[in-house]
Amino acid sequence: MATLDAPAAIGLRTWSLPSPLATLFRALVLALLAFAIFGPLLNLLLWAFAERWYFPSKLPLEYGLTYWHRVFQPRGNALASLGTSVWIAVLTVIVSLAVAVPAGYALARLRLPFRGAILLAFLLPQAVPNLPVYVNIAQVFYQIGLNGTILGVVLVHASHGLVLAVWIASAAFASVDVSLEEASRNLGASAWTCFRTVTLPLAVPGLIASAIFVFLESLDEFTGTYFVGVPDVTTLPLLMFNATMGGNYQISSITALLLLVPSIGFMLVVERFLKSDVLAMVGR
Amino acid sequence: MKRGLTVFAVALAFAGALGFAGAASAQTTLNVVTAGDQNMVDYVNNYLAPKFEAMNPGVKVRAVGTGPGDAGSQKIYEKLAAQEKAGSNAWDVDVAVIHQLASATMVKEKLLMPYRHDVSVGKLVSRDDAKNALGANVDGYVLPMFHSQIVFAYNPDLVKNPPRSFAELAEWVKKNPKQFGYNGVKGGMSGVGFVTGWVSAYSGLADKLENGPYDPSTVPAIDKALTGLKDFNQYVTMTPGNAGTLDMLNRGEIAMGPVWVDMFYTWQADGRMSPKIKLVLPSPGLPGQPMYYVIPAKAAHAALAKKFIELAESPEVQADGIIKQFNWYPGIDPQYVQPKLDQAAWNKLFTDVSPQDLAKYGRPFPLSPYFKDIVEGYERVVIK
Amino acid sequence: MTTTSLAVGSPSARSLLRGRGAALLLIAPALGVVGLFFVAPLAMSAVVAFRGKEGGFTLEHFAKAFDFYTTDLVFTLAIVLVATLLIGLVAIAIAGYLTLGGHPRTVALLRWLYRWPLFIPFVVAGQLMRTFLAKNGMLNHVLIGSGLIEPISAQSLLDWRGIVVAFVWKQAPFVTLLLAGAMAAVESQHIEAARNLGAKRLRVLVDIVLPQVRGTLLVGLVLSFVTMLSVLSVPLMINPNSPTMVTVDVAYRISTFADYAVANALCLLSLALAAIGAVFYLRHAVARAEGAS
Repeated sequence: MATLDAPAAIGLRTWSLPSPLATLFRALVLALLAFAIFGPLLNLLLWAFAERWYFPSKLPLEYGLTYWHRVFQPRGNALASLGTSVWIAVLTVIVSLAVAVPAGYALARLRLPFRGAILLAFLLPQAVPNLPVYVNIAQVFYQIGLNGTILGVVLVHASHGLVLAVWIASAAFASVDVSLEEASRNLGASAWTCFRTVTLPLAVPGLIASAIFVFLESLDEFTGTYFVGVPDVTTLPLLMFNATMGGNYQISSITALLLLVPSIGFMLVVERFLKSDVLAMVGR
Repeated sequence: MKRGLTVFAVALAFAGALGFAGAASAQTTLNVVTAGDQNMVDYVNNYLAPKFEAMNPGVKVRAVGTGPGDAGSQKIYEKLAAQEKAGSNAWDVDVAVIHQLASATMVKEKLLMPYRHDVSVGKLVSRDDAKNALGANVDGYVLPMFHSQIVFAYNPDLVKNPPRSFAELAEWVKKNPKQFGYNGVKGGMSGVGFVTGWVSAYSGLADKLENGPYDPSTVPAIDKALTGLKDFNQYVTMTPGNAGTLDMLNRGEIAMGPVWVDMFYTWQADGRMSPKIKLVLPSPGLPGQPMYYVIPAKAAHAALAKKFIELAESPEVQADGIIKQFNWYPGIDPQYVQPKLDQAAWNKLFTDVSPQDLAKYGRPFPLSPYFKDIVEGYERVVIK
Repeated sequence: MTTTSLAVGSPSARSLLRGRGAALLLIAPALGVVGLFFVAPLAMSAVVAFRGKEGGFTLEHFAKAFDFYTTDLVFTLAIVLVATLLIGLVAIAIAGYLTLGGHPRTVALLRWLYRWPLFIPFVVAGQLMRTFLAKNGMLNHVLIGSGLIEPISAQSLLDWRGIVVAFVWKQAPFVTLLLAGAMAAVESQHIEAARNLGAKRLRVLVDIVLPQVRGTLLVGLVLSFVTMLSVLSVPLMINPNSPTMVTVDVAYRISTFADYAVANALCLLSLALAAIGAVFYLRHAVARAEGAS
């Protein structure tokens, strides 16, 4: 079979618009998309550094760092909320992974009785709106005294993050080449040694990805915490929400930036771990 | 791979340490839980707490907000009720700041400790609402922290002749559609106050609604007044809440709306509201309300709580904190507070709304059963 | 793909049973969490929604829910459907270009650009849109400044449209990511063959690529649909007043009246809204997962 030109070359040949117009069109679409994505973020930055801004001016009248001082002052709630959020997220990751890794392995490699029903059980949380779940968990927690505690919030976050973690872990384990495992078993390794020395190390990138997803989901979680954590447990999203509803746009923008830093930081990191075959297996 | 794992473990440990540091606690902690907007939490956190901690070394004041409106007070009620049901003996709320409606419920269910006669400042209040919360007897259990009032704020550039009564307002919105905004019954009491004010004005039952007795047969009259409000709503903009109304006013998206006086002045001081905006109190009136300091029945630090309230209700703090910095009307009787303020600061409170206007048009909220009828009626009649 | 059972080499009944037992043991904690924290609360929701004051079965809570909130229920469905449709279109467009696009630099730029909203939580997206879409927000300033609209006709998008915008902004990159991954797995021979025959790229997208990634597209859209039905922060921040999403009403009933009965009735109704999509997703996903094992 003759080697084909790269589709790009073919594309240029069958593309009907003249080149400069096509470039302009492409540039326009990209610019619009960039505005749609970065416009709101730019607005956030403006509010984070605005000191005085009222109608009818289009841009802040005064810029300054006063609100940054307010947010980071020792009595300010932002640092405490950030600490609470991170602590809850770490605990959530630990709980989720401790439960998800064995489950993911079992799903990917082992024969399970009632496999269909088990799969259904793990798909259910993704197929069902979370609100009834949170509302009723909150009511039960309220009766057993877990409402407004860190443990309660971690349980809620973990139950949601767990499902995602199981799927990603299962995909990660499934993407490990079976022949490697079989080779190790043929050489006499026990099941546990095979897992420890062959399967697990190869699946680690996927597991790290799942840990990161669970961490971010917990950090950003709002609805569950709104019902279960309030008023004692204030995570950063709740703080941000309260600031927005109170019209404190400067403070809410600054806390939003605080929330975005780990998210965007991880985005840049997780690109390396997110192989498309792992990702393609998520949700299949 | 090992290095990746190590890096990851270190990152996790660091994150955990950061989190733990943030969640670390201190010495004796006085828990002050307040309903209401962010300005309430700011008041405790930025003003009262440093003063109190300076006076009582070894004590840390922790301020927690539960959100605006009766929903915020409801959360405090739920906390206390849960601890009572669980039979615990040292509750985790030492001082609570709540709305009138919730105070009635809490007194009825014996969740509060009577304390007014144990503190010296208890003698500085003689207003009726220190004893009566929307028809319920709460004497001894509460002290008003402040009084606030709902008024219409308007932009004089866009509104040359502000309407001075509800009837004038109803006419005005037809000629200026979408220029008036309020938040319905969700997201803040300024909207709720507007609705009850409307019902009081149009049902002709103002006196009965405020003073009782409760008569379920008034519901049709209330619903009829609300039907007029449904019509009115076609010409107005709905805002997301107390702050939403202020925000839209600030951004020129509406020209007029009901606001809390204290929030309004705070926003102006913060540079979030143009200094041009003015206030007007329409006839026959808009409600105002106090918020109450209360001490839960089994508060862990009851003695400290009483000391805290002593400080908060002292004339000096009422003058400097409540009035001057946070723009509320005082909780204790004004004659004890006025000598502590210079004349200019006192007058600033009454720039647009004179004491006479306040006396004439500042009303309390309706009694709680009527209040509930009105709020539910709004959902039933107006929203659908 | 061969299934490896734990006991390689000796397929005796006992070792097989041990293998299955071990597998169940490994998966039991996860199942336990799902059972306790999903199935149980859902069952409780059903119980509370139907339970009358004396404990008997009653439909009064549903009656009240419909009485007060029919508009919101209809709006919720409409908002989420419109958003899902738009997400699908945007995702197909972007993923399609990433796979078939002819200009490598544009493709690279697009690939970098579209992912940004992916890692921004819903609650922040709500806050972003609240100031961006307001009548005097940045969007209108830019539109007026570039002369596209008159100042007098500037509209505040802080109603159901703002909710749709926030949802599409936040969810489209997720579906695009899934779709791009699936499209990349489509064998290039098919694409090249079609191109060789002279097919325009749009035709290739619609006739060759899309049918092969149909499953992933539907999975992504259903996941988005279900997620959006559950979001509280966005409608609460952009427009909590009727007509709005049912989630706001649920929160309102609980936080103001502690009315769990009507709140749960509303939750079950939104569950019913999700049900159709959910059933499809579950059938499709279970089949795929079983087929892949």
